[in-house]
Amino acid sequence: MKFKYVGKSIPRPDAVNKATGKVRFLDDIRIPGMLHAAFLRPEYAHAKILSIDTSGAETMPGVRKVVTGKDISFRYGDNIMDRIPLAINKVRYIGEPVAAVVAETLHQARQAVKKIKAEYEPLPVYVDARDALKEGAALIHEESGEFDHLPGLEPVAGTNIANRYVLEKGDVEKGFGEADVILEGEFNYPFGSCAALEPHGSVAWFHEDGSIETWSSSICPFIVREDLARVYGLPISKVRVHIPEVGGCFGYKSDVTIEQTVAYVASFVPGHPVKWVATRKEDLLSTLIGHGIRTIMKIGAKKDGTLTAMKTTLLHSTGAAVDTGIHVLIASTHNSTGAYEFPNCYLEGISVYTNTPPVGAYRGYGHQESQFATERMMDLLARKLEMDPFELREKNYLGPGKFTSLGEKLWKTNGDVKKCAGIVREIVFSKPKAVNEDDKYYYGRGFAALMKSPKGAPFSSKGCYLKFNVDGSVTINMGGAEVGQGLRTVVSQVAAEVLKIAPERISVYTEIDTQFSPWEWQTIGSMFTIQGGRAVIRAAEKAIDKLKGIASQALRVDVDMLEYGGDYIFLRSDPSVRVSVPDVARGYTYDDGVTIGEVVQTTADARLPRYSNPDKKGMGTMGVTYTFGAQACEIRIEKETGKIFIDHFVSCFDVGRVINPKQIRGQVAGGVMMAIGATLYEELKFKEDGKAVNPHFSKYGFPTIKEAPGKQTIEFVETPGEIGPFGARGIGEHPVIGVAPSILNAIYDATGIDFYDIPITEDKMKKALAEKKD
Amino acid sequence: MSQRVTFTVNGYERTVELEGWERLIDVLRETLSLTGTKRGCDDASCGACVVVIDGEAKKSCVYPAKKIDGKEVLTIEGMADGMTLHPIQQALIDSGAVQCGYCIPGIVMELYALFNKKPDASEEEVVDALSLHLCRCTGYEAILEGALLARERMAAASVK
Ligand code: FES
Ligand code: FES
Repeated sequence: MKFKYVGKSIPRPDAVNKATGKVRFLDDIRIPGMLHAAFLRPEYAHAKILSIDTSGAETMPGVRKVVTGKDISFRYGDNIMDRIPLAINKVRYIGEPVAAVVAETLHQARQAVKKIKAEYEPLPVYVDARDALKEGAALIHEESGEFDHLPGLEPVAGTNIANRYVLEKGDVEKGFGEADVILEGEFNYPFGSCAALEPHGSVAWFHEDGSIETWSSSICPFIVREDLARVYGLPISKVRVHIPEVGGCFGYKSDVTIEQTVAYVASFVPGHPVKWVATRKEDLLSTLIGHGIRTIMKIGAKKDGTLTAMKTTLLHSTGAAVDTGIHVLIASTHNSTGAYEFPNCYLEGISVYTNTPPVGAYRGYGHQESQFATERMMDLLARKLEMDPFELREKNYLGPGKFTSLGEKLWKTNGDVKKCAGIVREIVFSKPKAVNEDDKYYYGRGFAALMKSPKGAPFSSKGCYLKFNVDGSVTINMGGAEVGQGLRTVVSQVAAEVLKIAPERISVYTEIDTQFSPWEWQTIGSMFTIQGGRAVIRAAEKAIDKLKGIASQALRVDVDMLEYGGDYIFLRSDPSVRVSVPDVARGYTYDDGVTIGEVVQTTADARLPRYSNPDKKGMGTMGVTYTFGAQACEIRIEKETGKIFIDHFVSCFDVGRVINPKQIRGQVAGGVMMAIGATLYEELKFKEDGKAVNPHFSKYGFPTIKEAPGKQTIEFVETPGEIGPFGARGIGEHPVIGVAPSILNAIYDATGIDFYDIPITEDKMKKALAEKKD
Repeated sequence: MSQRVTFTVNGYERTVELEGWERLIDVLRETLSLTGTKRGCDDASCGACVVVIDGEAKKSCVYPAKKIDGKEVLTIEGMADGMTLHPIQQALIDSGAVQCGYCIPGIVMELYALFNKKPDASEEEVVDALSLHLCRCTGYEAILEGALLARERMAAASVK
């Protein structure tokens, strides 16, 4: 198939306005009469609130209202209703909002917060799931077990267990019985933050007519809308959510996070918009954090490398609310089999309440945490079997006719992990290493394969509204949040290809407004190109049908005799018999003014076909779209300092179809960098008492250009998929998945040292090198 | 105690009243509604807020507004000439460095100060300047490419 616009590096439609600083992010919103909120955060990570004295704050200049949680009578949550907008009787994590001040300026609000006096009675603090699970541990939520939740979730009342997900495939004991070699390992992926450059924020406005209007730097406007409507007893249509430009998301601006809190506070000053934007510290501690997943893995294999069984237990320190984290762990658990077929599995994921900020989505959605274990284990297993690790992997890769842990059969159209692995291997490993070490450095190479399933929901549709203008140009409106990933470009390229007009003639929506935007579930799971692209194709094809229908009347010919060519609709047998698109774009007008036909505007949507809820064994279909890939690196470790240099990082994914080469390269390069951060530098640390150690960028370990790989090689395989436009598959999250294991495998290759947890900071590496010497 | 400062922003003279606590970013964003300058952190570590003061790239989030009196400030809003973008902006777009775009204003201003002082800045000097800026989206590859492209184009056209 030859493409005119797909596969070209068409410039982003939003680049100019971003480069001039003129796009509007949440904090750039200015509304006449707008007030500002600031929050009091607790001194303890787990404590009873004895009293809150707000009197000092109330008399501060500019203060309109001081709000506490004492009268709150509702809970919220997308999956399990364990969230509250402000602390009620207790605080459960260090970033929790305890009280809020609404004032005329932000400065006034912040000054007044300092005058609130709160008294607490400290309770035992659990930062790690293993401690929260101990016999006799204090309950973080006494009411756990009573919260409303989606079907299939299983909180264990009287414990800190918020959910247990178990997947059983085949017979795991039989599988281990057949194994010649059994290997066990424990791996930890600690807390981190998505840390988009733009901190999360929201504006909420309770109008006097009873409606609510809000703005949020969220990727889930429709979920926010539904949740606010439920809480305030309004028809969904009376809540209006705007999404301005979003300055990066990477997961943590999904679901309902801070919006309910800002709305609750704003409900006390009806008639006034109230704005709150997180400080960086609040963004790190009071929105959603990532990871916190410990993977205990056991693999059985035959002498020849055939995998027979996998047992994993994932312990998730999900934080003081597990609502958004529950599905991260479920995804992490069933994807712990990685890019391999295990005939027998027992995979268990336990979501545990801890006194840490709630964990939510983080680019990769659980995959990098458990596949960090899987890919380290493959190298360790190969060593134990005295087998080439590539050969071991090759023997067990998923592919056509094989079954995932979920019991989903794979087809050729699901992509080719072997091919990706082969390409990466050829680039990095085709020649023997030049040197193992010299005076200054150890040199190493490491590899990891990977797989990602989508994360959907049975109803996870994306909608598209497409309108032909009277000059033949096209306007497209959708509900997908542009967070930097470049979905606007993809929409215009896909539409241009189908409509046979230049992308410059297609304008794609900028901000989202639930009052006008077509419905979309939420922009998550690397699914916009797949589903959104399909919705665009459907809407475009409908529009072409409409144009042809009108043209058939105008030209007085059967519709199936006509062709659509972008500028004209013409008679196949005689293209000179034609009518222009502008002439039929709002119906066709005869010379006497009589008009027939209709305005050419269409809607369509698309979801993942046959996506299902898990059955009793934890199995089900994920909607037929997976993306496979492989990653490898060449590293250098400075002997004196322990500093690790990534000289070359290589990624290859079977993306089905590259829509925009420059954009997709940017996505992968950025994802790899983000995961290098997690692997070598970043960790959101909490002391035993639950207080944050490093909630600022200068201490968090966010990598700069100096930590970027010397070179990134990025390749793509294009085995067309079934669902996405022109065969395209998702890629947004995948680049983070194989980074940690490939680097840790390379560290072993360089030094003979095995690590099981990250980040491998300079200090940690230096210490390990010193210990090795002794 | 209020205080008054007079300075120029993007060539226009401005006089603002201060309470005293304000940083330059507060004046730019809140008083003057120049929201192109971004805030990304609370400890002067992200570079999103960088503007050019008397030719030097400065973090406006820590620059006391009191000290701006008599100075010349350039912000992202002053970079394009009508419909023509500054070559730094154009180069960052062309290299694919603009994803979410939140880090871009600060980076444009940093490079503007650098290339005006040193049109032939070495790659190492460019990297040093860029290392004061955090970007979560790009992995920095396209940003460096764009910066070098801008240097080249500016040298060719000897733009200021
Ligand atoms: S806002 Fe981050 S350095 Fe100024
Ligand atoms: S483009 Fe998003 S932070 Fe740099």
